[in-house]
Amino acid sequence: MTTRIVGTVWGLIITAVLVTVPLSFRDRLPDPLATHWSDRADRSSSFTQFMLMAVLPWVVTWAVMVGMALHGRMLRRRLSRGYWWGFLVGVGLFAVGITLTTVYANLDRPVWTEAELPAWIVLAVVVAAASGGLAAGFLGRGEPDQPPPAGEAPPKLRLRAGQRSVWVSRVSNPWLLAMTVVGGATFIVAAGVAFIGATPDTVWGSLLFASAVVFVSGLFTSAAIVRVTDDGLALGFGPFGWPVRRIRLSKIEKAWSEVRYPSQVGGWGIRGVPGMAAIMLRGGDCLVLRYHSGGQLLISVDDARRGASLINALIEEKVA
Amino acid sequence: MLLTLDLNDARPLHEQVAGAIRRAIGDGSYAPGDRLPSARDLADVLGINANTVLRALRDLRDEGLLEFRRGRGISVAGQLDGRALLVQRARELLEEARRYGYRRDDLIAILEELP
Repeated sequence: MTTRIVGTVWGLIITAVLVTVPLSFRDRLPDPLATHWSDRADRSSSFTQFMLMAVLPWVVTWAVMVGMALHGRMLRRRLSRGYWWGFLVGVGLFAVGITLTTVYANLDRPVWTEAELPAWIVLAVVVAAASGGLAAGFLGRGEPDQPPPAGEAPPKLRLRAGQRSVWVSRVSNPWLLAMTVVGGATFIVAAGVAFIGATPDTVWGSLLFASAVVFVSGLFTSAAIVRVTDDGLALGFGPFGWPVRRIRLSKIEKAWSEVRYPSQVGGWGIRGVPGMAAIMLRGGDCLVLRYHSGGQLLISVDDARRGASLINALIEEKVA
Repeated sequence: MLLTLDLNDARPLHEQVAGAIRRAIGDGSYAPGDRLPSARDLADVLGINANTVLRALRDLRDEGLLEFRRGRGISVAGQLDGRALLVQRARELLEEARRYGYRRDDLIAILEELP
């Protein structure tokens, strides 16, 4: 509750600054005013445009964040509370920083072309916004997540002598797979167009880079396969199940299944923060492993309860 | 999919694999329409040849339990009929009884003693 109130008040303060500061200096600003610099001011906007560009993106971001806090599951987990606060404060500071520096650069200039903005100011805004966001994320993350109730024992399978049990489950995200295919196709087309020299260097260069990043990251994160055998757990990444990460049973303390959503672990794909890694391809049933070292690994995969029960049984068998 | 194989089972391996998959479906791991892991994934995790798994999957398809669809892989076609699951379990029970030195007649006697 406090989170939502403080978030709302924070949003109102930022919006008030974004609206009142340019308005109160309006008679000392040129119209149009400089809004973009390379070496020197190279683009201008009318005062109204500048105000809209300053206020609208922030208000939309703020509304989405408050909406998520009111209706989503986002604030239930410590990690996602951290992300939420970090993003809200970071974006707010960045919006204020951009507006204040633009007003400062244009202040008392007769025409926009004379507005000057030293590079260090821009850098300072970015650094201040990023560190403010990090600090807010750290302070706003709140209490650690509640462990599952003590009465609820982790699932355990009954293994019989002379039997060998294994578990396998695969998970894939059709959207990420489609993005991977589109990324690969774009890469081939862009490379072909670049080869015949039909587009300028900068255009195909950035297109090639972007499509290569989408393709390669999709190749490793759009699907996963989890295998549990006597040897431990093997986690294969991507549609081809490669590379494989093997986790020995001796490293695992216990396993269980839990319902988790991308909003609670910071999004889709491979996510990592100190103490927890997540392979999140879809919301819902997830297999969670706790290591003896205290860290956790979460994998969104079907039939996770049976997988967890086999892991627990195998661990107990090894110890016995 | 949780699969359990009996290391002392004398039946051909493909029959054992078919039995393990039948049991996994019977236990409710998979509902009609759900996709199964691919034959290669199953072979990898069991540490056996993919052709053996394919043979087991084909047997189950012929039973009407699975269906193979191009581009969709292998999915569960229908609910396992109760009798097939009972036969599967009875066979396992008999195997286990034999390990403890009981014969078929002993097992029948035990069943008859049950209320």
